[in-house]
Amino acid sequence: MNLLRAIEASNFSVWVRESGSIWSYPTIIFFHSVGLAIIVGLSTAIDLRVLGFAPGVPVAPLEKLFPIMWVGFWVNAVSGLFLAMADAPAMVTSWLFLLKMAIIGLAVITMASLKRELFRPTTSGDALSRAAKALAVMSLLLWTGAIAAGRLTAYLGPSAEIKGLN
Amino acid sequence: MVRSLSIWLHGTSLSWAARGGVPWLWPLCETLHFIGMAMLIGIVGLLDLRMLGLVKGVPLRPLQRLIPWGVAGFVINLLTGITFYAGDPFQYLDNTVFWLKMGFIALAGVNVLLFYATGLSRRVDEVGAAEEVPRAARAVAAASLLLWFGVMYWGRMLPFLGGAF
Repeated sequence: MNLLRAIEASNFSVWVRESGSIWSYPTIIFFHSVGLAIIVGLSTAIDLRVLGFAPGVPVAPLEKLFPIMWVGFWVNAVSGLFLAMADAPAMVTSWLFLLKMAIIGLAVITMASLKRELFRPTTSGDALSRAAKALAVMSLLLWTGAIAAGRLTAYLGPSAEIKGLN
Repeated sequence: MVRSLSIWLHGTSLSWAARGGVPWLWPLCETLHFIGMAMLIGIVGLLDLRMLGLVKGVPLRPLQRLIPWGVAGFVINLLTGITFYAGDPFQYLDNTVFWLKMGFIALAGVNVLLFYATGLSRRVDEVGAAEEVPRAARAVAAASLLLWFGVMYWGRMLPFLGGAF
């Protein structure tokens, strides 16, 4: 707890939370939305294809999307770390925040599993397995849960009070 | 006109509910607003990336069959956005950042209209795997990405630059 308080009181956290600079909290949280749009948006498109919507879309080239989704993931891991540091004690002791982390962990494992399932050398690519479809449903549910938990964590901690900038 | 519409909206029960009369409505709409955003940007962005030449193995015609899901995301955001507006119309009415966001949405709409009205979408429909789209379609795709991420930027800046929540 002392460590969490120290992180919250660090120069960087104070700058993020209280500087009033457009480059602090506002820009970091904008990037957090951009990363979300990239990873959840492209995941959703792939999941819909796997579930049989737009069946004419070949699956094999979709493999190229995964590195872009990982970029979205890392944008959010870094921006999320900065946001969590600014409210460290409130976040880390909140079951909602921990739930969000757990859901994202599962969603990322699901994403990696779906990639393995879709692009195994033995599969022709277009005959989608039941396992792939199950993973696509899980992916949609988990990202929905992550977004819901994420929206609610925004009401936790001192940063929730940030209002207009000067 | 927008002012009288705002005054009317403020008197509706939707406004009362969004203002806190139904405490879970605002967080629910925020969650849906982000889900709709991911659907819109995910589908439209994928189409844009393909037109810009990134996942060239995908032919355009079947990919365009996902567009209704992007439209569904937009409709979700329109409805939840109206709910936010109704909750406190006057924090948006004279708010430059809010109107910048609306302006970017309008430009994104014009971009879509141009794509369909100029027959570009039909030409793009004929573009198979490994083929390139016409140059004009690439310009539309680049504008689409810029404008939608711009919409997100202004939306995110509403509490900070616009003083709205």
